[in-house]
Amino acid sequence: MTLWELAEASARILRKHFEEYEVIVGNEEEIMLKLANGEPSVTQSWNRYTITVYVAKNGKIFQTSLSSTSPGEVLEKLDTILATLTPSPLYAPLPEPTGQNYENTDDKIVEIVRSGDLSKVSEDLELDQAGNWAGTIRLAREERVLVNSNKASLHGEKTLFNGYMRVFADDESSGQWSWTSTMYRPDIAKKAIGAAARLAEECSGLPKRKIESGNYNVLLSPMVAGNLLEIVARSASGGAMLFGFSFFNKEDLEATVASEKLTLYDKPHDRELPGYSQFDDEGVATRDKPIIEKGVLKNILHNSKTAKLFGTKTTGNAGLLMPEPFNLDVAPGGLKDDEMLEALGDGLYITNNWYTRFQNYPEGLFSTVARDAVIIVEGGKPVGCAGRVRIADSMKRLLSNIEGVGATLWQIQWWEVSTPTRLPHILVSNARITSE
Amino acid sequence: MILKPEELTPLVDKALALGASYGEAAFHRVKGFQIILMNGSPITASYTLSEGVRVRVIAGGSLGFSSTDSLEKRDIITAVEKAVKHAKTTASIVSKGIEMSDERLGRARYEASARKDPEDHGGEDLFKLAVELYKSIDLSRYKVNINSFLLGLSYSIEEKSIATSDGGLIESRIPRLEVFYTITASSEGNRANRWQQIGGSGGLELIDELGVTQAIEDDLRSLELYLRTAKSPPRGRMDVVLGSEIVGLAMHESIGHPSEADRVLGREAAQAGLSYRRRIRPGEKIGSDLVTVIDDPTIPGSYGFYLYDDEAVPARPRYLILRGVLNEYLHNRETAAIMGTHSNGSARAEEWWSEPIIRMANTYMAPGDYSLEELIEDVKDGVYIKKYMEWNIDDYRWVARYVGFEAYKIKNGRLEEPVRNPALEVNTREFFSSIDAVGSDLRFYAGTCGKGEPAQGVPVWMGGPSIRLRGVVIK
Repeated sequence: MTLWELAEASARILRKHFEEYEVIVGNEEEIMLKLANGEPSVTQSWNRYTITVYVAKNGKIFQTSLSSTSPGEVLEKLDTILATLTPSPLYAPLPEPTGQNYENTDDKIVEIVRSGDLSKVSEDLELDQAGNWAGTIRLAREERVLVNSNKASLHGEKTLFNGYMRVFADDESSGQWSWTSTMYRPDIAKKAIGAAARLAEECSGLPKRKIESGNYNVLLSPMVAGNLLEIVARSASGGAMLFGFSFFNKEDLEATVASEKLTLYDKPHDRELPGYSQFDDEGVATRDKPIIEKGVLKNILHNSKTAKLFGTKTTGNAGLLMPEPFNLDVAPGGLKDDEMLEALGDGLYITNNWYTRFQNYPEGLFSTVARDAVIIVEGGKPVGCAGRVRIADSMKRLLSNIEGVGATLWQIQWWEVSTPTRLPHILVSNARITSE
Repeated sequence: MILKPEELTPLVDKALALGASYGEAAFHRVKGFQIILMNGSPITASYTLSEGVRVRVIAGGSLGFSSTDSLEKRDIITAVEKAVKHAKTTASIVSKGIEMSDERLGRARYEASARKDPEDHGGEDLFKLAVELYKSIDLSRYKVNINSFLLGLSYSIEEKSIATSDGGLIESRIPRLEVFYTITASSEGNRANRWQQIGGSGGLELIDELGVTQAIEDDLRSLELYLRTAKSPPRGRMDVVLGSEIVGLAMHESIGHPSEADRVLGREAAQAGLSYRRRIRPGEKIGSDLVTVIDDPTIPGSYGFYLYDDEAVPARPRYLILRGVLNEYLHNRETAAIMGTHSNGSARAEEWWSEPIIRMANTYMAPGDYSLEELIEDVKDGVYIKKYMEWNIDDYRWVARYVGFEAYKIKNGRLEEPVRNPALEVNTREFFSSIDAVGSDLRFYAGTCGKGEPAQGVPVWMGGPSIRLRGVVIK
């Protein structure tokens, strides 16, 4: 059964019971190679069908998510379930389906995924020469069809090639970097692995030093800045503001929330990044937009539901429940690669992080733990490699203290950066750092 | 349609016929219902059904995995063929072949019982329960503005059939109930939020049995203290009493995760990281004699309950620290074979698309015999941290940070004023070694533990009694 047939078969059942409905049918074919200790630990593949159904009647709304190709029995029951609910304050009529069909695929990726054979990737990335590497290489083809009661009939198809590699020079010295693209780009994968290897080597060649807790100037790699700015972008969602997961609020729109050096876009039309899409989960046309422009919050991300509650229009960022960004893009600054440590002066170059957690979302109080190389810089020169430190600060303060933005852009997507993000290094002054 | 273990046996036979030395096939279905209320009104309800077949094989010493949510025979056979192909493709660059340890595998069917089975009650009852639960909370009793109160109730029923090429045949059914809430409040110009997850295996009866109403009321009281009266905490080296909520989390983070043998061996190095147990071996002292930590999947009613793991190995309690000494790792059959031991039944897969990997189940510190009052009365200057919001730990699991949400100053053995955001940042050895008294008030807390790539979230309990730490640093 094709996705169109599956979507139409589902819609046929829903039409009997509901005037307002939507069906999104997706298929994902994916293959992933996982490496550890320089060798493949497992090769995995998936062929996944998903059916997401949304129905509304008398202001009541209900969703169903099925990872199954036989939805009939479930869909027939929805009317009975909906009858037991009361109207949702989030309800808004499905908007006009202004989205367009799209195709953004790379035949090389499709061929590799369908063959189930990663020999070519292994050869292109020279995995037989791998040192002490650990990481993941992922290729996928994603297709989806959206139909709804507003006569939306949309189709999208794209591919992705993404991964990350952690390279160990020794037990105490490692670097990690990531890459992502809609195209098969061994060049950016090798560049990312090279960046990880250089950090591991650099840390290995420097004395290990403990640092004291205190305020430091920090240079954040694209891995670290990507993690933190994804949280910023998600905090700019109307849903996050409504549900208490944001340090922004409605009144922050058009207010200065960051240094003027920061401009952060949501770019669903960026064909190079895997979040590419011409329509959102309500069938609305997506558009590129600034979230923060020169430090000013320019857009709160909305679907039709959150837009209604905020008294505005959707930004084409549905999520049926939560509005979300598609691709993030940070405008480059003027700091060239060979100028960054000099611009940092005395401080820390933090190259990777994980485990970002908030003590208090509304106030933006958080901490995150550095991992891999943390390079101590004095007078613009690397002088040591520190242990695992934390940034323990306020997100608002961190955004305000951005002093510089790099010129070279990287495309990042990994465990700690789920939204594909193109961004440079970011220099922050006076960040609060804790150390054991 | 549920595929029985016997129906999966031809799949592992097929894998062997294609050249695999080991084959394992599983049918895995999770169905569930969720209702979310915002300020008492349902904002959305959803039904989920996730079902499919996964196949895992060893061929040429290499591991291959493939899965599909199509239950068409040809698609399942394709998954078997792909799994074998994946393994064979990388076999040439694997220097040391992967093997499975020899085990006495289960041939059994079991289920967790529920007095009010979700399948018999359905969405309508869950919706009524959610509304009743919300209405049972008298928000006017608390002197804070509730900006938003998100309350979710969900149940799931997990059904699995597993067959392995060396004779394992397991069928299981586990219903679970979960409540989660996020309350955002403001007062006196301050804003804060509190989230919580409560869950267990069983049915709708768990809403009463797990004390959900009391937990929400207690958290509202904590928010009131945090927003209205809490002051800056004392900082520096001092004695600290930790409540069971933090102790449970610390057992999960500081000894549960580092005891995962795949992490010790480097298999998760690029994701969840490595472990200090690469350097500090079993038999070495890590804490005071009062510290015994257990991970036990077999606790009836627990959120992480199971009796056989996803490799058909019988589950049993695992003693991670025994009287202050590092003890066993958490093993699956792959790591057990590498370390020359037996699996202790720690392989879990979240859904049909998930590779079984080493996971915790219900990790807890064994209780002692102190009351909370006795723990506090012997502290001259210190802090009692009852609840947390922010926490994290480095990827070797060596230095953890827990920031108090409800916390109090202790002076001359008595609790004094509430304090805001005391941050305990401590390394694992110092944490376990500084424990000089362990309470009797063992409690468990639910969580969803993340690991693997693609990331898998599995239900776990984290438990502990209140404990006293001597001379640790509050930042």
